[in-house]
This record gives sequence, structure tokens and C-alpha cells, in this order.
Amino acid sequence: MDCTVLIVDDHPSFRASARVLLESEGFNVIGEAVDGASAVSETCRLKPQLVLLDVQLPDIDGFDVAARITGHPDSPAVILVSSRDSSDFGPLVSRSGARGFVPKAELSGERVQELLV
Amino acid sequence: MNALTRALAMLALAALLVGLLAAAVIASSDHVDDTAFAITFMVGVGYAWIATGLFATYRRPANKVGVLMTATGFAWLLNAFVAANSPAIFTFAVLASNLYLATFVHLLLAYPQGTLRRLERRIAAVVYALCAVGALPILLSGLEVTCERCPDSVIQITSSTTVGTVGDILTSTAAILLAGTVIWVLAARWRAASRPQRRVLAPLLWSGIVLVALVAVTLTSQTVSGDQVPGILPVAWQVVFAAVPFAFLGGLLRGQIAQADAVGELLQRLGEASTGDLRGLLADALHDPSLQLLYWVEDGWVRRDGRSADRPHHAYTPVELNGELVGAIIHDASLEPEAVANVAAAAGLAMRGERLEAALRRSRARIVEAGLQERRRLERNLHDGAQQRLVALSLTLRIAQNQIAKNPDTAAEMVGAAQEELTRALEELRELARGIHPAVLSDRGLQAAVEALAVRSPLPVKVVEVPGERLPEPVEAAAYFVIAEALTNVAKYANASNATVAVRRVNGHACVEVRDDGVGGADPGRGSGLQGLADRVGALDGSLALDSPPGSGTTLRAEIPV
Repeated sequence: MDCTVLIVDDHPSFRASARVLLESEGFNVIGEAVDGASAVSETCRLKPQLVLLDVQLPDIDGFDVAARITGHPDSPAVILVSSRDSSDFGPLVSRSGARGFVPKAELSGERVQELLV
Repeated sequence: MNALTRALAMLALAALLVGLLAAAVIASSDHVDDTAFAITFMVGVGYAWIATGLFATYRRPANKVGVLMTATGFAWLLNAFVAANSPAIFTFAVLASNLYLATFVHLLLAYPQGTLRRLERRIAAVVYALCAVGALPILLSGLEVTCERCPDSVIQITSSTTVGTVGDILTSTAAILLAGTVIWVLAARWRAASRPQRRVLAPLLWSGIVLVALVAVTLTSQTVSGDQVPGILPVAWQVVFAAVPFAFLGGLLRGQIAQADAVGELLQRLGEASTGDLRGLLADALHDPSLQLLYWVEDGWVRRDGRSADRPHHAYTPVELNGELVGAIIHDASLEPEAVANVAAAAGLAMRGERLEAALRRSRARIVEAGLQERRRLERNLHDGAQQRLVALSLTLRIAQNQIAKNPDTAAEMVGAAQEELTRALEELRELARGIHPAVLSDRGLQAAVEALAVRSPLPVKVVEVPGERLPEPVEAAAYFVIAEALTNVAKYANASNATVAVRRVNGHACVEVRDDGVGGADPGRGSGLQGLADRVGALDGSLALDSPPGSGTTLRAEIPV
């Protein structure tokens, strides 16, 4: 398993922890982005297989980013993450084009893998 | 006597002389039958128009309506010279005999603002042109116009009546079409006018429409029957024309009497009780249902519901009470300035009362908004602070768990880091909870809470005096947050070396004072912090004062009734 990942979050501590966690579980983190705009451009540039996407970003939110980078045959899989619970967002997650949602505190390679298959 | 009154007096004198000359010409005429009646009617109507025009100019020198009325009066007087025995004067007078209709239509189109818009200017130009050439076919062809005994035209070039008749039919047809256009424009203006505008428009507009219609009907009947029918129609139009100045003056007088009545009634209704609908009362008094009120509160305009409003950009009249601006009446631009000023003077006291309400509503709205903002801030702080730390903690523990078997040393290191993360998260939660409401304040009272604030402050703070006994909870909370905000500001902006805090009980008030030795020059409008405090203290009927001369430190004082 060598799934390439782009991590999008404005909190550096989360990006660092998520990178360590995912890499220790066999993922290949190929890039990080700190806001919605750079998330879109980095997705085009790096063509990751998975984008781990924070909902709350300083410019456009994760739902809008997901809508922009999904929908094509070669689009990456998108998994939304947040320190909030998915119930805070109602149907926004399922409408966004993302594969699913993982609360940040429950992030693990296993949870991500479940959503990817 | 200023330049305006001197000019008006000169015009009055000129009118008198022209009138006397006209009377003399009619008196000596050999083709006017009833000279006494002719003199009375011609000169009387001319004088009425000129006098009304001069009066209107005197009242509103900037408005051209008075000038146009005066000009119409003079143009009418020219008609009298048709009575002249001299063929040259007679010819000139017949040529100019329609001019008064042109100036009258000009007046109608310009009323009441005194100026013409583009379309109206074009119509007026055509009317002037037609009135100037209207009598030419008759004068050039020698048609008998006014009477058998009249002098001959001095500009007759043909004796062919056919040419004259055709010319006359052409000019009459043009005049009828033009009259229809004028009536159409005036009717459209009436339809578009607001209620107060209609009251101003009515006397002149309706007599004007009737007169123009009569002229059109007369010309039509002449053109159709081919006769020069003196009949009832021209008499009727001249009677209507004669009545216009009186209708105008009557309208003014009626307006002023009605205005005096309205102000009297307004004062009585204002005195009866607070009806709660000041706007309605003023709208009734001025007959302007669109009238609105704005209140001047703390250097800005607000509506009665306390919402901020833009600077009035329509016609408005400021309302003052004892020289102090309390608000403004926004009204229809066509209302008489004197009428609105009278109503504004009568409404001052009542508006001051409503202004207090508006100020209260505004402060209440600010408190609600401050509450919402505070909740947003708390949510943001929780999300960015403690929540992020706990998320990181959870991830760190998961990584550590993965490492226990393979790298126990790394795992132990990560658990240590997690411990530190947890300590920081707890500290942030504590800080946040204290910001919501400090537990020490509710448990131990103001003295203990202020001392704790002083200890936590990054610069030395001396607590001079704080009452040891408990005060009512809202007073303690307000005093605490005043001191907390003031000390935060001192640390952030004042560049001070130390600060002192004192809370004293004076005359049934808790007097809070925070003083520093910093740079001073604090701006009371800066940020929402001080405004929020002022609202909080104001809600308890207290007051907040900032004294911050540049270079001499800053003192924030709050007085809260206990």
C-alpha cells in the first residue's frame, strides 16, 4: 500500500501529527496546504490519491474545496476532517463530493482505509 | 432697503406707469366701445398679476415663479395697446397680444420649483415661437381681426384673405396640438405628485389646465366654423386668467391659516399625552404621509428603533431644543420651509423624549450584539485553543500506542509530550472559564477577584482600596469587567510602568477607578471594548468616563449605583 496523501489544515500541529500518524501506518504524505486556495492548486500540481481536508479553513471552507477538486474520473478521494463532530454539519458532508468524514481525534490509518474501499 | 426690495419697487413703479399709459390709450381709443370696463379689466388684471408676482419674488427670491408671474402681468398689459389709434402701435400690440399666453404656459410648466426640465423647455420654446408668429397671417393678409373700425395693419403685404385664412388655420391647428401637449404634461405631473405636492400645485395647475383647454376649444371652434366668434369662450378664458393670481394668493393664505391651525392642534395633541406616534402626529400636521423622523444620538443619526441611519439625503429640517440638535424631520421637498420649521419648533420637546428611547434601544441592541460577539469569540477560542490541543493529544497518544511494541522509548517520550499538551489545554480552558465569569468573584467577592487580576497582570498593579463587603452581583460583575478591560488596555497600549486600582463607595455609588502612568492619549472610540463596558455600566444606570490627556497617563472611571 503506497497511497499518496495531501494534508490540508491551517493548524501546523495537526498537520505534523497527521503526517506522523499516516506515515507510520503506510501512507505516503506528498504535500501539505494551509488554506482552500492552495489546497486546490496543490491538488492539481501533486495529483495525490487522497486529500485529507479540514472543514474550517481561513479562506474557502472544506466543503467548497471538496466540490472543486472532485467530480472528475481522475479526481482524488477526499476525506473531510474536523475537530467538530460530523453531526454539526448535517448533510453538507454527503453533498460535498467527499468520501466521508473522520473526527480529527479519531484519525487513524484504519479509519481512512475503511472510507477508501 | 436691500437690492431685492429696491428692484421690486422699481418694477412696481414701472407697472404703474405702463398701466396708466394703457388706460390713457384705451380712454382715447376710437375703436373700443366700453372704455371704462376695458380700462378696469385690462389694467386691473395686469396689476393683479404683477403684484402677485412681485409678492412671490419677495417671499422666495431664488424661485423664478414670481418673475414669471410678473412677466405674464406685463405681457397682458401689452394687450391694452390694441386699443391704440396709431396703426404702428396697433400692429405691434396685435403681434404681441398672445405673449401673455406663452409666459403663462411657461409659468405652468415651471411651477412650483421655477425651473424647466428638458422636455418642458422644448415645449415652452415652441409655445413662445407660436405666440410670436400667431398673429402674423392676419396682420400680413389684412384680415379683419378685432373689429371693423380698427386701424390697418402696417405690415400687410397681400389682400388675399385665402392666404390669411390658410395661415390662420395652420397656426391655430399648431396651437391646438400644443395645448393638448401642455395639458398632457400637466396631467402627468398631477398624477405623479405626492399629496403635499398636489396641495401646492392645485390652484395654478387646475386653472392653467382649464385655461389652456378653453384656448384650445376656442381655436378649434374658430377653425372649424371659420368665423371669428368672440362669443362666450374667449370671455371665459380671460375670466379664468384674471382669477389665477387670486387663486394663487388664496392658496397661500389657506395654506398659512391651515398651517397655523395644524401647529396649534399639534401642540394640543402633543400636550394631551404621549401618544407614542410622534411621527404620525407630525405627518398629519404637515399632510405628508411619507414623513420620517431621525434622532441625533452621540454624533450619529438613528431611527426610533435604535438602528443607525445614514445622513439624511432628502429634504430635511433639523429639530433643535434650546440650541441642541435632537433630530431631523425628513419630509417632502415641496413643503413650505416655514411650515416645517413651525412644526419642528413645536415638536422639539417630544422628539427629545423619543431620542432618549432611541438611544436606549441602540444601547440595548449593542448589548445583544456584544453578547453574540462574545459567544462567537468563545466558540472560536475553544475551537482554536483547547479543542486543537486535545485533538493533537489524541493523535499523539495513538502514535505512541503504535510505537509501544516497536520503539518503547519513543512511545514513552510521546506520552510525556502528551502530558505537557494536556497541561496547556487545561490552562487554556481555565483562562477561558475565567473570562466567562471568574469563579473567585462569585465565591469570594470583588476584593479577592481584583487582587487576583492584579497578580495576573503583566505590569505592577497596586490595589489601593476595594470594599471588603459584598455588593449586588451585577455591580460586582460590572466593576470587575471594567477593571479587567482597563488593565488589559494598560498592558496593551499605555506603555505604563505601573497602575493603581481603587473601588470606593461614595453617595450610594460604587466608584471604580483605574489609573496608569503611561503615554495617555487613549481614544474612547477605539475598538468595541470601551463601548461594551459603557453599555454594561449604562444598563445599571451608571456612567463611564475616560480621561487620557496625551503624555499624562490614563484614568478610567465608572460610577455604578448600588
